[in-house]
Amino acid sequence: MTLLDVQALDAFYGDFQALFGVTLRVDAGETVALIGANGAGKTTFLKSLVGLLDHRRGEIRFAGDTIAGEPAERISRLGLSLVPEGRLLFPSLTVEENLLMGALNRRPGAWNLARVYELFPILRERRRQSPNALSGGQQHMVAIGRALMSNPKLLLCDEISLGLAPLVVDQIYESLGRIRAEGASIVLVEQDVKRAAGAADRVYCLLKGRVTLHGQARGLGLEQLSRAYFGT
Amino acid sequence: MALVAAPWLVGEGAQRFLSEAMLMLAMAQMWNLLAGYAGLVSMGQQVFVGLGAYCLFFSSIWLKVAPFWVLPLAPLLCAIVAAIVALFMFRLREAYFAIGTWVFSEVVSLMISKTERLGGERGVGLPTARLVDPRWLEPLTFWISAAIAVAAVFGTWALLRSRVGLGLMTVRDNDVAAASIGVDVWRNRFIAFVIAAAGCGLAGAVSFTATLYVAPGFAFDPNWVVAMMIIVIIGGIGTLEGPIVGTIIYFALREVLTVVFGLSAGWYLIGLGLVAIAAILFEPDGLWPLIRGRLGGDWLSVRREPPTPVMIAVAGTAAEGVRSSSPGLGVTRSDG
Amino acid sequence: MIWVETIVNGILYGGLYGLLGVGLALIVGVMRVVNLSHGEFIVLSAFIGVSLVGVFPSVHPLVLLLPVAVIAFALGFALQAVLINRVVTRPDPFAAILLTFGVAVVMRNLMVEIYGADLRHLQAGRLAQASTGIGSLQVGVLPLLILALSVVLFTALQLLLTRTRFGRIVRATADHRDVVRLMGVNPGRVYNLVMGLSLALASVAGMLLAIRASFSPYSGVERLLVSFEVVVLGGLGTFWGAMLGGITLGVAELVGLRLDPNAGPLYAHLLFLAGVLLRPNGLFRVRT
Repeated sequence: MTLLDVQALDAFYGDFQALFGVTLRVDAGETVALIGANGAGKTTFLKSLVGLLDHRRGEIRFAGDTIAGEPAERISRLGLSLVPEGRLLFPSLTVEENLLMGALNRRPGAWNLARVYELFPILRERRRQSPNALSGGQQHMVAIGRALMSNPKLLLCDEISLGLAPLVVDQIYESLGRIRAEGASIVLVEQDVKRAAGAADRVYCLLKGRVTLHGQARGLGLEQLSRAYFGT
Repeated sequence: MALVAAPWLVGEGAQRFLSEAMLMLAMAQMWNLLAGYAGLVSMGQQVFVGLGAYCLFFSSIWLKVAPFWVLPLAPLLCAIVAAIVALFMFRLREAYFAIGTWVFSEVVSLMISKTERLGGERGVGLPTARLVDPRWLEPLTFWISAAIAVAAVFGTWALLRSRVGLGLMTVRDNDVAAASIGVDVWRNRFIAFVIAAAGCGLAGAVSFTATLYVAPGFAFDPNWVVAMMIIVIIGGIGTLEGPIVGTIIYFALREVLTVVFGLSAGWYLIGLGLVAIAAILFEPDGLWPLIRGRLGGDWLSVRREPPTPVMIAVAGTAAEGVRSSSPGLGVTRSDG
Repeated sequence: MIWVETIVNGILYGGLYGLLGVGLALIVGVMRVVNLSHGEFIVLSAFIGVSLVGVFPSVHPLVLLLPVAVIAFALGFALQAVLINRVVTRPDPFAAILLTFGVAVVMRNLMVEIYGADLRHLQAGRLAQASTGIGSLQVGVLPLLILALSVVLFTALQLLLTRTRFGRIVRATADHRDVVRLMGVNPGRVYNLVMGLSLALASVAGMLLAIRASFSPYSGVERLLVSFEVVVLGGLGTFWGAMLGGITLGVAELVGLRLDPNAGPLYAHLLFLAGVLLRPNGLFRVRT
């Protein structure tokens, strides 16, 4: 069953066009990786999906509903959840309060505060602290936890490995496995091609706002990926 | 030029009206220089209007000379005061600077009210005006007002075409980015602030010479800056022609509402306030850009194009290391 | 003894100044907007209070605090929803300042047209004159009440922001206006409520101030400047700092008036300017 269906998406920042005819699909239960260099348009794409980008053309359908043009507040209730680039946690709130913010849009499902603490035990220890007191990896955990609290059908992860030590990234990616097991579909946006392709079922590659490659993760060779990534 | 010939062509009443309009135009240009180009919204600008007036009155009275001779002292005093004020007001950003200057204005007003030597709360008249031949008082005021208005417009134009002006325009758009490319934000703003103070001081001095009376309530009345702001907002902030358009509308509206409709001054201000609100909501760039399209071109082209989003993004990331601004706290260290 | 009494009274009224400022501090902290019509709404509340007293002469003005606060809340909500929300998202930080300034001009002159320019006073009857002994000092009952009310309201505000779900949402919106949309929060609606709250608090202060001092439609300017000074002295966006800032200003003003009866708010203003010069980040570093 197709969960997310994007057709010919164009996106603009004012007069500047960032995405050109992007077509992408995520089926229920899948993990899809979206890779590309800095500035390729990955974050722009995610922002268009969740309704934070006003200027776009094209079709976006989620679980059958057309969400293109809907405001972010409404889209968030449909089961689409974003772990934003740079985490964007709320510094005036404690860790626990950050997680609770994610629960405002709670849909029925497996994830709640207790389960998130189970997934990331270190957060229970630090739950009354400000997110600024946490390490980078821990902050990523809070961001992911916050997105999980609404029990999304589709979890969008924007650069969750950025700036983290490999061991920490392992931890994060391991948690993805358990998130997947609970039934969520995932879109992984990454610059780290190996990681993303390794964790995904299918891969799309963006270059300067255009999809330059897509296919099964297993079937993609390094040279193919490089060409699509760098455009050489 | 028509302006020179005017005193022989129009009656005294019209001259007075035009003088007032031209002085208001000059003040509006000064406010526009600050807000539209230097990014400084000053709500205490009336302090310089008042200081200029008081300077003129008392130097004329104490030195026992006709007021026009001591006119240059007014902008001079204001420039000095502005230089000192800038030292601590520039620590405040945006809204805080705006109100801080207003507080300063109130302080000056209160201090003068308490000083009997300066006329206290009641104020003083201008006896030395008698030293001027009464036939020439009105025309002289008129010519000086016109000269000031012209100087304000063309002086600003010249300033903006200079290096300082270029610096100012980058500062207005993005002061962090400007700093990152080496523009001395503080110095450029300082220059603009001092010039604007001098300009308002000069205009204020002449304005009160015409009324032959000054008192703290009138001299430091916030309605001066209200008028400046409304003119600039309606006319077109950040353009040189904007204040001209705005002044015309301001006075036209005043005449229509008070003379034609017979409304009191209060309703006129209400009307103006509503127009200003509408302007900010719907046409924040003012009326000049709309008119300019129809007239087909700038009269005084120094109007700068705002940078495109891409340029801002690039400048922004370049400036990332320069200063981190904490959200919501409008105060910065004095290293600008 | 007179000096100690003066200072004590300054502290008591300072609580009132703090209340004047906290409404402004709230919206500055949450939406980075300085509402230049804050003073005018303070004065308007006093006028509404006077009108209500006219309609219900047997009711003590202090009882009217609640209905006036409710009206002020509604006005604040409307102001935000209809006007300020349209400019809050603009990158230009001055749009909101200029807009609220326009609102202030309109309100001030409308009040003159409707209520006239004369000075008014809100009568509190014998309560205003009553004083009680604390130790060896004579302290006014009304100032004590005012201080108590200020402390209660401050505490209530703190609790609202730190212990409730609504408070959480407000703080999160203040941090990241766009990110909260991902959680289903409409920032515009949050702002509406916060502005309503801001003006409700200001209205209480406005009524209490009207009992203490006379007012006219032109008093808004002074109220705004005081509120603003409280916010800046207190450290921009912190609340107990605003309270302390208010107390400092209150003491400065009353001490100044003792020394110099014609000074009006001069000494408070001078203190503010000194504060800006010496400690631009506020006198009190108190975190919310």
